[in-house]
Amino acid sequence: MNKNLNRRDFIKTTAATTAGVATIATGVTLSTYVSAGDQPVTDEKRWGMLVDTNKLTESDIDTMVSACQKEQGWGKETHSNEAQKPSWIKKIKVKDTATQRISNLALMCQHCEEPPCVDVCPTNASMKREDGIVLVDKHLCIGCRYCMMACPYDARSFVHEELTDQKEHMPRGKGTVESCTLCAHKVDKDEQPACVEAVNSDAVIFGDLLDVTSNIHQTLKRVQSTQIRADLNLNTGVRYSGI
Amino acid sequence: MNRVLLICISLIIANVFAHADNHINIGDKAQVLKDEGKSEEIHPDLKEIRIMHPEFLLHKRDKTLRQGVRTESDSLKACVDCHSSTDTKNEYIPINQQEQFCSTCHAKVGISLDCFSCHRTTPTPKED
Repeated sequence: MNKNLNRRDFIKTTAATTAGVATIATGVTLSTYVSAGDQPVTDEKRWGMLVDTNKLTESDIDTMVSACQKEQGWGKETHSNEAQKPSWIKKIKVKDTATQRISNLALMCQHCEEPPCVDVCPTNASMKREDGIVLVDKHLCIGCRYCMMACPYDARSFVHEELTDQKEHMPRGKGTVESCTLCAHKVDKDEQPACVEAVNSDAVIFGDLLDVTSNIHQTLKRVQSTQIRADLNLNTGVRYSGI
Repeated sequence: MNRVLLICISLIIANVFAHADNHINIGDKAQVLKDEGKSEEIHPDLKEIRIMHPEFLLHKRDKTLRQGVRTESDSLKACVDCHSSTDTKNEYIPINQQEQFCSTCHAKVGISLDCFSCHRTTPTPKED
């Protein structure tokens, strides 16, 4: 033990120790965040998707639809007619009447910042998570279908028949409304939505719109993109480029 | 008169035993854990889980759906995983079917079981 410890040395030692503890403490905080799905989601993130219609082929869209069906377990309804069958993601053809140019789109819930479905829901079943994912709480859904009427993208479906053998992570039942969840169960585990994983090109990018280092943020900053029905000022999480 | 009384008493006794038998089926994995003496690690107080499980599930469902907390504790998925039984062909029997873990008590106390109109009734078979 150094008995001749003067004031300057004391301050040096204290500063070094504090810095050391702070470093360790930062490490601890980081490691807590790594285990995804343990903590409530926050508004520090906003999940979004960018679909590049120039790169996205028709077969890519079919791949996305079947990946969604496989992941979430819809599309095997036998008693519903064509108009009743659920469709969480669909292939849309858009034609520019002036130039006759046709674009193919994959259209699903656009995960709006100001979702009309949430505004009209009488039971608070339609809800938006802190991180921007719009979901239906089927525990509260009474099947009134106001949200289906309110959605400008026709993104929601109603289950018309009794179902069995649902996916563990996606309870589905007769009399409730459902739509794209942006694969929230996968996103909570730091994975990508099934449709994004299924497309092998960079035609569809998924990520945190608020994270300046993320691919989606950088790409949106660089390329021209648009929201469908941007005139409604819903600030959608799903964006399109090339249309 | 005595004969009628005898029949009545034997019916009542049979009924009591029948109900006692119904509660034996706690599910395959749960039975293994119970035999190994590990069930207390999951449910330290049986009385608590018997009375409070609706509240636990209600609390957890909101945390999972609305806040994205996807831990195993109090999740319905974990309940079904442990308390499901298999039949002679080694296939899972839906947990809400007669004589299965959930339905025995719910039928006895006359409370409808609404979880499984949407939720999956068996554990997902592991992909090979």
